[in-house]
Amino acid sequence: MPRQPNAVDFWRGFALVSIFVNHIPGIWYERLTHRNVSISDSAELFVFLAGWSLGLLVRGRPELVSAGRLVARLGARALKIYAAQILICSLALAILAATAYLLDNPLILELNNAAAFFQDPARTQIGLVLLTHQLGYFDILPLYVVLMLAAPAIALLDRFAKRMLLPGSLALYFAALAVPFTAPTWPVSGQWFFNPFTWQAIFILGFALSREEGIGRFARRHLRAIRLVSLPLVLVTAVMVWFNLFPDPIHLPEPKLFFLNGKSFLTPIRLVQFLALAALFSTAFPIIAPWIRPVTEYLSTLGRNSLNVFCVGSLLSLIGQILRLLYTGSFLIDTIVVGVGMALLWFTAWVSEWQDRQLVVA
Amino acid sequence: MGAGNAQPTPELPPVAKECGEVGSSDTPLPNGAVALQERKKIKILAIGSSATDVLGSGREGGPPLLEQILEQTIRGLDVEIINRGFSGELADATATRLKIEVALNHPDIVLWQVGTNDAFAQVPVEEFAESVRSTVRWLKENKIDVILVGLHYMKQLAKDPHYQAIRDSLQQIAVEENVLRIRRSEAIEILARLRESGRPEPSDFGLNEAGYNCMAQYVARAIAVGLYAKPPKWPLPQKR
Repeated sequence: MPRQPNAVDFWRGFALVSIFVNHIPGIWYERLTHRNVSISDSAELFVFLAGWSLGLLVRGRPELVSAGRLVARLGARALKIYAAQILICSLALAILAATAYLLDNPLILELNNAAAFFQDPARTQIGLVLLTHQLGYFDILPLYVVLMLAAPAIALLDRFAKRMLLPGSLALYFAALAVPFTAPTWPVSGQWFFNPFTWQAIFILGFALSREEGIGRFARRHLRAIRLVSLPLVLVTAVMVWFNLFPDPIHLPEPKLFFLNGKSFLTPIRLVQFLALAALFSTAFPIIAPWIRPVTEYLSTLGRNSLNVFCVGSLLSLIGQILRLLYTGSFLIDTIVVGVGMALLWFTAWVSEWQDRQLVVA
Repeated sequence: MGAGNAQPTPELPPVAKECGEVGSSDTPLPNGAVALQERKKIKILAIGSSATDVLGSGREGGPPLLEQILEQTIRGLDVEIINRGFSGELADATATRLKIEVALNHPDIVLWQVGTNDAFAQVPVEEFAESVRSTVRWLKENKIDVILVGLHYMKQLAKDPHYQAIRDSLQQIAVEENVLRIRRSEAIEILARLRESGRPEPSDFGLNEAGYNCMAQYVARAIAVGLYAKPPKWPLPQKR
């Protein structure tokens, strides 16, 4: 039986819908997503909740007692996400190739960083398998794979050297900003869109804050005070985003990444603003859920099946991009793309839970 | 151009026959010329929807073709290319990222591939123009040369009024701001015409594959011309 709606599933569903919409550049509904008034966007929310869920998984499963079973369980999860990434990239390339043939339009082969694959398939295929070549908008899962590969180490550190985990994560984060360093791409020289050395910080923060002790306990105890600080921060940054009031990057002091607003490096201003936003909305779910019950059910259903929904959503975003290209995006086309896409996301989640429902009936 | 004139003028990088003849403006790249004279090194930041096709593919995993051509043509020149292309990005988002990458990498020349995604996404022309114009001005204020690489050629969109408007707006910005623009759609259109006229191509689907390396050759030539501020020797295509 699927679990009842809860805050984590609800917000994860919210992030999934936002990602689906935001990955169709130029679509009218993009202006309704929260990134228009927030420095951080749904990517931060998605990765934070992934860390939070890992925290719940590690501490909420009594059968995962031995370290060996814990490592095996988390390793299997990483493998599943990796397999999902390989599958959706393969499908995305096939969608692009089929569309290019059907329309006799080779330009389609260049969408979403796919050009390298069709131009240099031998090396790019190796890059896709090694995650060093990432298709545009298919670059969050590689980060998630790396984080989940690190999950056994995170869980073991949490178990045997609890006090090392968060300081270690933050030390790596600031080192990656100060030097700076990131993961390279190959065969096309460049860098990962989501720097795993900095984005791990928000994952670990999600993990640590899900705990009833340490920083999690501190946050819960002082939530009111944290919110008092967070409110003006969120409001001021909303104005900064709306009116684009960020300082000129060239005039910032070194190390510049400490002061810039950069998504790839998850710079401190993004991280702090996200944490403030999370603090403000952390208790919103029980208040708003009864008033928007169908929305709650819908988003929680997506959130419960996040990997499947994310994968289908990525492909639907790509199809949406192609449809907008073909029918020169209008409000009507955008509405159809978003409406049908959101229905298919729900259908994906429904099918994913179908087996559970059958077991209950039986 | 004082800096450029002090240099002995090299041969211009060759452009392969099968690429046809296409031109860019002979706009100088003064900051690149200073870097060349003072350091014998130029740093190029490639940014935009997908820089792969503009940089060209290096054989056997070597550096991009653009880097190879420039280093072979201009003796002693060390070219560093920083590729920060991100597929699907609109001009406005790239503009924000471009400023960050410039602040972090201090390039002499920015190679900005812009317009195709905005045309696809039906971004209002004024909005597009404002993003590009303000960013070009910002680059000039900070003494960084910019090369705008124009829209892809796409048969289906060639007569689309919005696509044309975005293309015209980019052309206008290049003229008003006196920055170098690679006439990409004309280049790819020439390749398409060559293919239709029966000239041999790697394969039926090889138009863009050939286009990649041709684009790198056009860009290399334009940079060499810009660095030495020398007028082009090849015939420019008629204005469209």
